[in-house]
Amino acid sequence: MNPILRADGLVKHFGAVAAAQDVSLCVHAGEVVGLLGPNGAGKTTILRMIAGILPPDSGYVHIDGKDMASDPLAAKQVIGFHSGDTQLYHRLTAREALQYFGRLYGMDEQALKARIDQLVEQLEMSSFVSRPCNTLSSGQKQRANIARAFLHHPDLLILDEPTNALDVVSGRFIVEAIRREKAAGRAVLFSTHIMGEAEYLCDRIALLHQGRIVDEGTLPELLERSGCDNLTDAFLKHAGVNRNGVMA
Amino acid sequence: MRPRILLSIYRKEVLEALRDRRTLFMMIALPILLYPLLMIGMSRLQEGQAAAQTAKTSNIAIWGNLPPGFASYLKDKSKVVLMPWAGATPEVRKGIEEGQFDVPPKLPLDLDADEEPPKPKKLPDTPWAHAAQKAVLNREVDAVVILWQGFDRQITESDAGVITVLFDSVRPESRKARDRMSDYIRLYREDLVKTRVEQRKLAPGFAQAIDFQSTNVASEQRKSGMFVGMLLPYMLILFSAMSGFYAAIDMTAGEKERGTMQTLLCAPVESLEIITGKFGAVWTIATIATIVNLLSLAMTFSRLKLIPGMQMTIPPASYVIAFIMLLPISLMVNAVFLAVGAFAKDFKDGQNFLTPLLMSLIIPLMVTMAPGVELNGYLAFVPVVNIALLIKGIFLGEWAVDMLFLVTLSSLCYASLALLFAANVFERNAVLLGGKEGLSSVFDFGRRAGSRPTPGVSLLTFAVVLVLAFYGSLSLVDFGIPVTLAATQYGMFLLPCLLLVRMKGYDPLETLSLRAPSVRAVLGATLIGVSAWTVAGGLLVRLLPPPESLTRALERLLMLDDKAVPLWQVWLLIAITPAICEETLFRGLILSGFRRLGKWPAILITGLLFGLAHASIYRLLPTMALGVILGWMVWRTGSIVPAMISHALNNGLMATLTRSKGLVEALGLTGAKYVPWTAIGIGSLVLAAGVWLISGERQEETNS
Repeated sequence: MNPILRADGLVKHFGAVAAAQDVSLCVHAGEVVGLLGPNGAGKTTILRMIAGILPPDSGYVHIDGKDMASDPLAAKQVIGFHSGDTQLYHRLTAREALQYFGRLYGMDEQALKARIDQLVEQLEMSSFVSRPCNTLSSGQKQRANIARAFLHHPDLLILDEPTNALDVVSGRFIVEAIRREKAAGRAVLFSTHIMGEAEYLCDRIALLHQGRIVDEGTLPELLERSGCDNLTDAFLKHAGVNRNGVMA
Repeated sequence: MRPRILLSIYRKEVLEALRDRRTLFMMIALPILLYPLLMIGMSRLQEGQAAAQTAKTSNIAIWGNLPPGFASYLKDKSKVVLMPWAGATPEVRKGIEEGQFDVPPKLPLDLDADEEPPKPKKLPDTPWAHAAQKAVLNREVDAVVILWQGFDRQITESDAGVITVLFDSVRPESRKARDRMSDYIRLYREDLVKTRVEQRKLAPGFAQAIDFQSTNVASEQRKSGMFVGMLLPYMLILFSAMSGFYAAIDMTAGEKERGTMQTLLCAPVESLEIITGKFGAVWTIATIATIVNLLSLAMTFSRLKLIPGMQMTIPPASYVIAFIMLLPISLMVNAVFLAVGAFAKDFKDGQNFLTPLLMSLIIPLMVTMAPGVELNGYLAFVPVVNIALLIKGIFLGEWAVDMLFLVTLSSLCYASLALLFAANVFERNAVLLGGKEGLSSVFDFGRRAGSRPTPGVSLLTFAVVLVLAFYGSLSLVDFGIPVTLAATQYGMFLLPCLLLVRMKGYDPLETLSLRAPSVRAVLGATLIGVSAWTVAGGLLVRLLPPPESLTRALERLLMLDDKAVPLWQVWLLIAITPAICEETLFRGLILSGFRRLGKWPAILITGLLFGLAHASIYRLLPTMALGVILGWMVWRTGSIVPAMISHALNNGLMATLTRSKGLVEALGLTGAKYVPWTAIGIGSLVLAAGVWLISGERQEETNS
């Protein structure tokens, strides 16, 4: 089966800093792949390159067989991107913001309305969907943003720390929404700091350190190769930090 | 670009902007409130101040002896308190009483003085002057009046007595005291002269000698236009720019700050669609602001009487033309705002970036306030100044179609450059995401061997070359037509074009269509070259007849300003030189850049730019028509040579006809204002034959 996402040899430098070095990834339909790494490991840069927001210095990204470099519009059409710092327009209501993005994705007005109503119900947004986005709480904003990413039935969901800065209830809500999308056959690539989330959601995990993927596999494979009994220790081992937080 | 996506972005941006209080305030509230408050408020304040001054009593020191009967001239006695010798030191009093000081010389009669008090003189370095200065500045009195020794005797003996009034022009009470005193003295003088004339039984006009009358021929529109024209361009341009200012920052730096730019960039939209949608929204906001500004100004000025006795009479058409002329400047300013705003990381940063830009508008706008500065050939190409001066001219009822054309042309050029800059910035996602990509990456002049120019490069080249050639030819005008022509064509058309091809690494053969033409193409080009002028010059000139001055200027150009120049030199400069230089630039580089837009858009845009480059509205249609034919020939034949042949023959024949009376007679054109219909008919047949020959060429696939 062809993967929904195939990224190969991605390299990105910001001046002298190497944010991504020869990063290759595949995500199949119905699969959740987690990208784990400490701050500054290059997670956001890699996700932005895959989402077509940042052009890589070298390497390529294919989404559903569409080349991001030569056909970015077709590739972006099947991506739903959401990041912890992605925001919606403050002076638009959540519904207006969803309508706007639905139109940008070329959705027909009838289908768009029906889809927004569906998401409002699924993500329990009815109490705030008609309020301007700048009046929403963090959890409500994240839900509206998740709705925006899910809106056009994308084949690939790219989620950059989607539960960042959320309380436990809101975070759990988002995690369950991701599980539903996986069950619906979507490919999901997401980054997180929270080991429990990764263990709960991911079919495969890629450990990232200093712009490189240092290990990749299922949870049991990672634990076996690292010789650790939990993901946190395996993650710290790859980051070169011992259990006391001291650089090895 | 997809219209539906564009419209979605545009609608969303406008909706958001209209929900932004700052933008709404700058766009609607400020113009509605500002002008009436500022203008009418100022006017009322002035009136109020004047009324307050009138109500106040003037304390006037009188140094010297008032002549008997002078007191009867004090009309509003209750408002004047005469204070004998107030503020005078004992030395000064003694000096004046005993005639120790030199009396200021009597001045020649000032014919223009009319009702105005005499112009103040410089303060002399004398004890009496210093004493009076101290008394006025210390506010002991509002003014000092000195009646010099012998004043009574001089009046009695029919001589002229001397009175000096000392006042402080900065203090309104002092000015009022001076005005009051001047009025009394003038009335007293008039009666004195009248009495003397009657006593000597002289004719009533004896002392007056000449009744000097000056009459202002300026219409009410000119008088109010002069006043409005000074202020209006300044205020309109500045305030409409200010409304775009906030919207531009909000849509760029504001989006970055709020984290919504990334959301937009991950959607399947092109950068050009984003910038076009945003630009359309900013421009709409600025245009609404311009309309509100104009309406508010019109309402304010119609109710305003800043100049006593003058009713503001500005025809509505002037406001409409001013609005139309504000559109290109608003295009340019807002495109620059958007592009520069994209570099800012947040709203505050955006304000820091754009405020100096907004302030920089003030300097050229101040030029319009200066008296005597009028729109001319040089200033027509100076951005901001040109529009401001044109608007001033419109309100004065003084504007020429040709100047309007030049200003519009140059302003559209600058607006295109600004839009290209903005589009280039929005192509850099790193800039939009707040990265540290600098200006150097935006002005990417990197060499890419074998590439071809883009529409942006074509437009940029045209705008730069046009401005360069315009100023270049104006500065060389003293060297005569041949030098100006050669320098403009080779130095400002051909050289920049070849340098750009070399620097950017474009394939010269493909970009400039440097291919050998077929014999059929050469024959077709020859037929088109000898006949195109009959159609272009015969039909299109009838639609928009050029003024006599332009016809004479063209004749001078075609004659090279010298009848003695041999014909071969005329052909070299008038025919062959433009054929090489203009064709390389327009049908070479510029047409090549527009190729990706498709055959007819590329040919028509290039033809339009060729017409515009001739910098005259009267020459626009004929030169554009010729440009379209030449562009089509290059597209069809794949070679620039046929276009060069046609261009050279067309220009050469025009020059030969201008110089050779024999040929004109032989063609039956003597004394004809236009090319006769028979010549047009024959020319059309020859042209059709040429077109048929070129149409047979099968090289169009090379242009794909």
